Amino acid sequence: MKTVKEKTVLFLLAFSAAILLLAFVAITLFIGVRGLSAINFRMITTSIRKGGIFEPIIGTLYLLAGTIAIATPLGLATAIYLAEYAPKGKINRIIVQALNNLAGVPSIIFGLFGYAFFCRFLGLGISLLSGWLTLTCMTLPIIVRGSQEALKMVPKDFRVAAEALGTPKWKTIKDIVLPTATPGLATSIILGISRVAGETAAILFTCSVFLTKSLPTSPLHPVMVLTYHLYTLLVASPGTSMDRAFAIALILLGLVILLNLLAYLIRMRYRRRWKW
Amino acid sequence: MEVVGVKPKMEVKNLNVWYGANHVLKDISMKIPEKRVTAIIGPSGCGKSTFLMTLNRLIDLVNGARVKGKILLDGKNIFNPGIDLTKLRKKVGMVFQKPNPLPKSIYENIAYGPKVHGVKDRKTLDSIVEKCLRVVGLWDDVKDRLQDSAFELSVGQQQRLCIARTLAVKPEVLLMDEPCSALDPTTTRKIEELIQTLKNNYTVVVVTHNMQQANRISNYTAFLYLGRLIEYGPTQEIFTKPKNKLTKDYINGKFG
Repeated sequence: MKTVKEKTVLFLLAFSAAILLLAFVAITLFIGVRGLSAINFRMITTSIRKGGIFEPIIGTLYLLAGTIAIATPLGLATAIYLAEYAPKGKINRIIVQALNNLAGVPSIIFGLFGYAFFCRFLGLGISLLSGWLTLTCMTLPIIVRGSQEALKMVPKDFRVAAEALGTPKWKTIKDIVLPTATPGLATSIILGISRVAGETAAILFTCSVFLTKSLPTSPLHPVMVLTYHLYTLLVASPGTSMDRAFAIALILLGLVILLNLLAYLIRMRYRRRWKW
Repeated sequence: MEVVGVKPKMEVKNLNVWYGANHVLKDISMKIPEKRVTAIIGPSGCGKSTFLMTLNRLIDLVNGARVKGKILLDGKNIFNPGIDLTKLRKKVGMVFQKPNPLPKSIYENIAYGPKVHGVKDRKTLDSIVEKCLRVVGLWDDVKDRLQDSAFELSVGQQQRLCIARTLAVKPEVLLMDEPCSALDPTTTRKIEELIQTLKNNYTVVVVTHNMQQANRISNYTAFLYLGRLIEYGPTQEIFTKPKNKLTKDYINGKFG
């Protein structure tokens, strides 16, 4: 027999979970239904000057690909240093705390910093490169903290076993620690990227423009991006049909869900391979 | 303390170890005879495992550990700044209390060590794997599933795999930290028999809290208590006529 207190707690917990689930389903359904009725293959493959959204889609992929290419090695190297080499003391804790704070900084501040530092100070201008660097700054704390935790989850036994055989430290990390941590590392990289995949504020002043002549052919060219296009549709041209906006929203939602699905699949694949 | 008549493989001189402010090993000096089994006995927390870990400097991996003193391996101090840790740990292998296979296949668990030390030829690796698995009596059980994960083996098999893995890099000294404590009596007996055959080729140092086991398998026994080496000598003497009252009380089960 459950007490009243037990019942109340159970109800409150279940109620919160239900609201969350409901909100997720509602948003997905709403965007799904409106987006699906608006989207079509022609729109995706047609140039923006003929009413399509081809350039913003490719521009978004350019932006993400470059950010992944810069942020992944940098983030992994930092996480490996912090987790495996840096002395575990006060300075290490301060760095970790700083990263936690950085992960929570509003994205518009990254945008401002990117504009002031990369676009103006370094003279990179409104360009794909400035966008990559700004988004890298924004996603690094997430990648580093997640990777650090993934490395910490590797059982100490594995390292001791390898080092007891005479394996040097870096080889132990390369052969034993990193492969074991791969699902966690991949997950944190993908989560870091999915955080910036739908980013608007940070690219607002650093890399995106409403209309360009063509796709960027150099990292120093500006780029059209889906989120920014969506933003300008709503803000600058209030008369236009909402269909286009919902089509873009659906693509962005699909992108994020796809990234998370990828993270999930990687975790499952590795979990089946070695159990301990 | 002296061991008469046998050449020492390792020599520990005034060894002190601290964990932070905690003085865990106090002024230990002893010679470890070549191609003999030396047992380290003593109650929990007396520093047995710490002692073992200093012998191949795995203690370096412990945060906040500090070591003073000398340990000579074939006359050379392993704490010399110029020492090559990779070579030291190849020479002085270790088997742990809890089996700790690498997250790799059965085959790779054995082949990994030789690869680290430069063996590349596939045939040589194959033969090392087979030979080492035969020594520990595991070959017939696993020869058809060498590519399976090592974690699919039973705990006893895992421990024998770990011994085989340690043998694969051709060590000269074998450190064993309570290698049977996680195992059932049958597997324990197998491993004890294995240790008996190993001493023909290796210098074995085995930590155990099981006094019957120390009595059965070792030629020499050292008794550690609260970080000090209380008594050290031929196993028979330690167990039949201990010189120190603490040793006598411990062996008779008055504390532990």
